[in-house]
Amino acid sequence: MSVAPAPLAGIRVVDLTMVWAGPLGTRLLGDYGAEVIKIEGPRQWDLLRGLGGIPRTAPRWYNRAAYFNHNNRNKYAAALDLRREEGRDLLLRLCARSDVLVENYRANVMDGLGLGFEAVRAASPRIVYLSMPGHGKTGPESGYVTYGTNVEQLAGLVSVSGYEGGEPLKTGFSYGDPASGVAVPGAVALGLRQRERTGEAVFIDLAQRENLTNFVGEFVVDYGMNGQLRPPAGNTHPRFAPHGVYRSAGEDRWIAIACEDDAQFAALCGVIGQPELADDERFATMAARKANERALDPVVEGWTTRIGHYEAMHLLQRAGVPAGAVLTIPEVMSDPQLRARGAWSPQTHPDAGTWDVETPPWRLPRTPGHARLPAPGFAEHNRYVFRELLGLDDDEIARLHADGVTADEPDARSHS
Amino acid sequence: MPPPLDGVRVLEVGNFVSAPYCGRLFAGYGADVIKVEPPDGDLARAHGPFRDGVPHPETSALFLYLNTRKRSVTLDLTTPAGQEALARLAANADVLIENHRPADARALGLDHERLRAVNPRLVLVSITAYGQDGPYADHRSNNLIAFAMGGQMFLTGTQEGGPVKNGGYQADYQGGLNAFSAANLALLAAERDGEGQHVDVSVQHCMAPILEAGVPFYSYNGVWRAARRGNLMSGFMAVYPCLDGQVGVHVMARNWPNFARMTGHPEWLDDERFATAEARRQHDDELMAEVVGWAAGVRRKEAYAAGGEHRAPVTFIHTMADLLESPQLAARGFLRRIEHPVAGEAVHPGPPWWMGPDAWRDGPAPLLGEHTHAVLAGAGLDEARIAAASGTAA
Repeated sequence: MSVAPAPLAGIRVVDLTMVWAGPLGTRLLGDYGAEVIKIEGPRQWDLLRGLGGIPRTAPRWYNRAAYFNHNNRNKYAAALDLRREEGRDLLLRLCARSDVLVENYRANVMDGLGLGFEAVRAASPRIVYLSMPGHGKTGPESGYVTYGTNVEQLAGLVSVSGYEGGEPLKTGFSYGDPASGVAVPGAVALGLRQRERTGEAVFIDLAQRENLTNFVGEFVVDYGMNGQLRPPAGNTHPRFAPHGVYRSAGEDRWIAIACEDDAQFAALCGVIGQPELADDERFATMAARKANERALDPVVEGWTTRIGHYEAMHLLQRAGVPAGAVLTIPEVMSDPQLRARGAWSPQTHPDAGTWDVETPPWRLPRTPGHARLPAPGFAEHNRYVFRELLGLDDDEIARLHADGVTADEPDARSHS
Repeated sequence: MPPPLDGVRVLEVGNFVSAPYCGRLFAGYGADVIKVEPPDGDLARAHGPFRDGVPHPETSALFLYLNTRKRSVTLDLTTPAGQEALARLAANADVLIENHRPADARALGLDHERLRAVNPRLVLVSITAYGQDGPYADHRSNNLIAFAMGGQMFLTGTQEGGPVKNGGYQADYQGGLNAFSAANLALLAAERDGEGQHVDVSVQHCMAPILEAGVPFYSYNGVWRAARRGNLMSGFMAVYPCLDGQVGVHVMARNWPNFARMTGHPEWLDDERFATAEARRQHDDELMAEVVGWAAGVRRKEAYAAGGEHRAPVTFIHTMADLLESPQLAARGFLRRIEHPVAGEAVHPGPPWWMGPDAWRDGPAPLLGEHTHAVLAGAGLDEARIAAASGTAA
């Protein structure tokens, strides 16, 4: 099978997103072939540039934050103050030469800048304009400020998460953000398809809370049918047991085990050296195991605490029992499966050096994704954008600098 | 206007959550989705929760939600007749979505070479725990195992309580949404030059890089934070008990002045312990004590409204009842009432993103095998072959 151009080759994206959800989404567009141009303001730069643990006395500290650099590879960057008329006009000119705009400001910010859908459409009649605010662009709460941990609270997810018998519990991180980010290529692909058919601009409103409510849809349907609020259920399953996380040898190490039928349970009993349990009437059927789960779990843990989590996983898998180590961050980065898949690969950045970054997550063997470019330094591609794309001459570019519409360095006083 | 995926033909040989969620998005945005089920049905039909708590294959909330607007065809893919019928359907499809272990998929006739021979344009999308190859490719997994192996579980919960998964089937949903994005990229490519491919979505590979700053900080800075901090990530990013539930705060540096004023504590702004983001980190325990005190005296909906008014990122923990009563969701028409012939009426989430009033189509989940005859007869199978393929032959 011959390799063809990446799916989004030839598509130019104006990226007005910051932090995680939006930048992850536009990075995926870049991973799969789009030319992504990230616009930051001299004062409104992506705050992740400042959250890298790099001392501000270090040269170009703002180009060396690892989290920023992971979320923004495969992008170009230019600086424009969109609150200035010249900045806004140049952005509209850039949109006229682009296919897609993605923004994740609070709902009314783009309209306030004079860069709402209608304004951009007037300049770029075939633009696919994707907004991804927390609440969506309309409705009484659309102006509320919201970030990733708020999104999971609004989506209903937190209310059904947590330990069995415990209070609702947040996720381990800003889960709403990546859930929105990975939706971006799908939404943009649908937008491009719609544009091809109609020849017209497309507006997409990705309300992050609504996207994430789709991840708990069965709870919504259940509540609507039965009027029941389901309490958090921890690692348990409504029908299967054992189904949980058990202590392994070592400090804070754990293994997840899930038996989905009698054969898997019998295999588990064999591995842990207690084959007679498979015939024990307390555990012989799925219903019995679920009813006696609290008696069963300590039996399983009596075995798991004696060996390492990876070793237990391999012993159980060899016997056909679903099991997986609860991987820490260092273990995720050294995991043999992820290594075999090429999930991590070294990348070199002119200011930050060389280290392992994630590769594009989905394998499309005929049209593969790539990690082509390291994340851009602040304003690194001003010249490409202003000269080549917008056709400004040196005097005009100098005037933008003199007027503070653009800059070569971010204003360090922001985000402190 | 026709919906964005109008005219796209999808075969879903999917079980439970990940592939069916991907198929649900295709169906919602207008594709014609044929769901191939084994003769005893998708596992989700057996899972519930059921209407009135009574198990029934047509009233599982999980199945009803994940399979809206699809057609159902039963095929016994363990038989040559079933596999032959599948190949017939694949010959006329643009996308085939499946989520079996690679070894199981091959046994069911879902291998790429075979499908490519009948339809070179076909985009075959496989959603698996680990991907198509590698040392764990044929390991057994489910949502719990995937959550552990993707690195998200270790970070979730408290130090004392141990790692815990999030509610429902979050690893499976992540796999389904990632697959939808990947499938649509491959579909654009196939429409350009008429060639499909085998799209390989590993749930582990989708999950492991998105541990917030975890991977970048470990890979580049060489540091990682092992502690699980439950609801109290930090003073300014936490879920706190309030008078009638819980409120969540997520205060970035730029929101701090608004947050202090909104809580009625403008004096925090003059407190040198809280003057800068760095100072607030240094004095996190003291800040948390102050915010705990504020939260203990507020009602959840009032705190949310005040946060909105002051542009401070404060929300309350929405239950399913709160979603159904949400003025925001109501104003946007997000929740849909869908009537099902056996399960009756239920409320369903609408589109994950809005693309115009006609872009998302609702419809009930199909009954098991409801469209077997119509679809297979339409593909040119006679009665005997339909019976053999669907496992209903005497």
